[in-house]
Amino acid sequence: MNRSAGMLAALGMMLGGGAVALPAQSAWGITPMARAIGTVDHSDPVPGGGSLTEARVVEPVLMVMGHGPGGVFRFNATLDLEGLTIPGGELTPGDWGEGFVDRRHPHTYVHELLVGLVDPLGRHDGRGRLGIVLGKGFVPFGTDDPMSRPFLRFPVNHHLSQIPERAVGIVQYQLGVVTVEGSLFDGDEPTGPSDWPLIRTDTHGWRFGDSRALRITVSPRSGLEVQGSLAHIHSPESRAGAAPDAEKQSASIRWEQGTGSTDRYALIEWARTSEAQGYFVFHTFLGEGMLRGRRWSVAYRFESTERPEELRLVDLFRTQRPSPDNSILGITRWSLHTVHVALTFAASRRRLSIEPFVEGTLGTVAKVGGGIFDPELLYGTDQVRALDVGVELDWAAQRQRMGRYGVLQAMPAMSGMRM
Amino acid sequence: MARTSTPWQRTLALAAAAVAAACSSSGSTTTPPPSGDYSIAIFNGDNQTAGVGTTLTTPLTVTVTDGNGAPVPGVTVSWAIVNGGGSIAPVSATTDSAGHASAIFTLGTVAGLQSVTAMVSSNIVTFAATATSTVPVTSPQLVATWPVPTGATYDHDAFVRDGLAFVCDWNEGVLILDVGNGVRGGSPSNPVLVSQLITANNGVSSAAVHNAWWFHNPVTGENRYLFIGQEGPGIVGSASSGDIHIVDVSDLSHPVEVGFIHVPGAGTHNFWMDESNQVLYAAYYNAGVIKVDVSGTLSGDMSSRIVAQVKPGGAGNTYVWGVMLANGTLYATDMVSGFWALDPATLAVRGGGNNVPERYGSDQWVYGQYAYSGTWGNRLARGNAVKVWSLDAGGEPELADSIIIPNISTVSDVAVTADGRMLVLTAEGGSGNGLYVYSRSNPQHPTQVGFYSVPVGLHTGEVATISGRTYVFAARDPGQQELDIFDITGLVP
Repeated sequence: MNRSAGMLAALGMMLGGGAVALPAQSAWGITPMARAIGTVDHSDPVPGGGSLTEARVVEPVLMVMGHGPGGVFRFNATLDLEGLTIPGGELTPGDWGEGFVDRRHPHTYVHELLVGLVDPLGRHDGRGRLGIVLGKGFVPFGTDDPMSRPFLRFPVNHHLSQIPERAVGIVQYQLGVVTVEGSLFDGDEPTGPSDWPLIRTDTHGWRFGDSRALRITVSPRSGLEVQGSLAHIHSPESRAGAAPDAEKQSASIRWEQGTGSTDRYALIEWARTSEAQGYFVFHTFLGEGMLRGRRWSVAYRFESTERPEELRLVDLFRTQRPSPDNSILGITRWSLHTVHVALTFAASRRRLSIEPFVEGTLGTVAKVGGGIFDPELLYGTDQVRALDVGVELDWAAQRQRMGRYGVLQAMPAMSGMRM
Repeated sequence: MARTSTPWQRTLALAAAAVAAACSSSGSTTTPPPSGDYSIAIFNGDNQTAGVGTTLTTPLTVTVTDGNGAPVPGVTVSWAIVNGGGSIAPVSATTDSAGHASAIFTLGTVAGLQSVTAMVSSNIVTFAATATSTVPVTSPQLVATWPVPTGATYDHDAFVRDGLAFVCDWNEGVLILDVGNGVRGGSPSNPVLVSQLITANNGVSSAAVHNAWWFHNPVTGENRYLFIGQEGPGIVGSASSGDIHIVDVSDLSHPVEVGFIHVPGAGTHNFWMDESNQVLYAAYYNAGVIKVDVSGTLSGDMSSRIVAQVKPGGAGNTYVWGVMLANGTLYATDMVSGFWALDPATLAVRGGGNNVPERYGSDQWVYGQYAYSGTWGNRLARGNAVKVWSLDAGGEPELADSIIIPNISTVSDVAVTADGRMLVLTAEGGSGNGLYVYSRSNPQHPTQVGFYSVPVGLHTGEVATISGRTYVFAARDPGQQELDIFDITGLVP
């Protein structure tokens, strides 16, 4: 199942009457899934001026979701091989983070590895449901990972709107339409595909638990969801743990509806990150939507996102991590319109879907405030154009909303491989 | 909305013109078009490598074409050396029937990248050549390392005097190490910790201890005060934060912070002192340069002691990295507006400025009649150059040469040894990161004699003479943050 259809199906399973309702699960269940996207990326401009075209395999992932009898015990694992296929990153105008800029960094090989308990107390804790999740994955903050949304290119706001690949402990409580999640995690970002979260360092003590997040999700009706979240991240850009902290806020409204012949999806999000006690502040606003028929889909995204412009290295797509100073060269705002059009073909008894697509981006980059950074000096223009042509392959991929675990995660019990 | 042309684009455009010329039919041209229509492209001889001072085996050749891409004979091409010294002959040449003009390039004496331009009307192409050193490049000896304290973000800089190293370790403050003073029996190869002080945040996100200067007051005979620079968050070119902290080190074992200097809306960077006149000069990024009276007792808010201030490049064109007093002139490197000469009494501009338009500036050192200034990051060109300045009798700088270091993007620190024999650089941003040592036997064209590779990069290098030997106290970049102590004695006999 392709990403958008899978996402809708999963949500349809998950949300019923405003609260999550899991099907009865009396046995162990494991659902393996796989996907990869072959794409030709063209970006104009790139750092240094001019344009660049590259062919890449991105998002080559193997996923496993599972549960124990009764659905109380859950586990998730995602192996991401981008460290092999895009070690130098994927051309993505405006993207930044983890020492990459204008390229999306490869994810770590072990993208997710979590275990959890859902409603382990049954009715002993009242009408609500308790969730406990522990492992490596997304912090309960902000919106779904872009990998599980309708577009190929990640939005510029990825590092403002999600906190991925941390050692995280989550406690959730769901009562009716409201779910509250609190978490502790390690603040350090990975710096390469092989990195694991730092739990404790010899020189800086515990990193696990030095950062925290709180998210409240309200689902007032089927398919509609409102979330607000806060996070404090200790020294995200220095794994040793002594660089400035970040304070993050996020709010979003998400709507999804499937009618059988047509599916609709929309997301509006706002997020803010301040660093160094508010000396640097970055905002993002993003709106996206998708309309899907039986075989075709079209999606549109607009975002206006601010990012720091940091000192680049000899390789203009890279910045130093950690930085030796607390300074940046300026702030830019990326205003981008992206359209994604795809066709879906099913094969191998519908377990394999083949989705050729075209995705185009147009927009501008503008300097915000002071500083020496000048987009036209680096890129030769302030106009941004990007085009992708590619094919997405999904095998048995009943795609989940990455970044939602425990009581907020649907288990593909009916389609999984029974043990 | 406007599209501007970068050097890469101009090079591509010229290459495209050359391709177009090659592909076009060669119709006979009897009347050269107006000069403004000529295009010029490299035909042969680019990117050669040879020893310093030698003549390249392949002449540098360009092709001149008209607006239709056809070769143009009889056009004068002007040749010029951009950096590295050496010579080009002839300095002007006329194109032949194929539109070609050639010149012979003899490399200068500086190892590294050298370049030559060929120009017709207002169009320019640049040839690059690599000059390899004929002097053996040896590796300085790493004699000791000192780890950053638990919890420290960086080791950022050091100030060494009288066998004591004041090591600036950012959020963990300043460490005082005995590296030959005798107070703890330490030496450069065996540093011993004397004490540590974390200065106040003063409203910034951390102590951010960046640099230091131990003031020896010849008027009072006291060595009482240590000035510490705090580098808070900033936006390069427009904003900065952080104060100068004043620490009483009368008792080296128990340093005590006693005062500070604050400039609203700006933060400090590197210092220099006129100790005999009890004056502190401080680079203050977007606030320019300040001059502070530090005579007498220092305590509390000393901001009223600021007696002069200047923004040498003017508002919006000033972001001063460092200052140095030499030969009766105060020199300042500005990241945006270049290398300046100032009057140390009034801070009035004497000369220089807006003289490195293609690169951002970094650190500097002045010795005798020459000055050296580093470059930083990426502007029109990378920060892989050290500008060599000849100083006239009035102290005004004139560009004399440039040292180009391959595979780096920042020359982060510049210093000359006390005996004037060696120029020491630290480098970041690429595969060429590390410690560079040059001989100043010809101060206008230093020759590389030493290199120590530090892949993560070196941020600063403080040169000191201890017990007759010459050392560099270098700050290794985050990721492997530590103090590295190199012995460079004897690299230049």
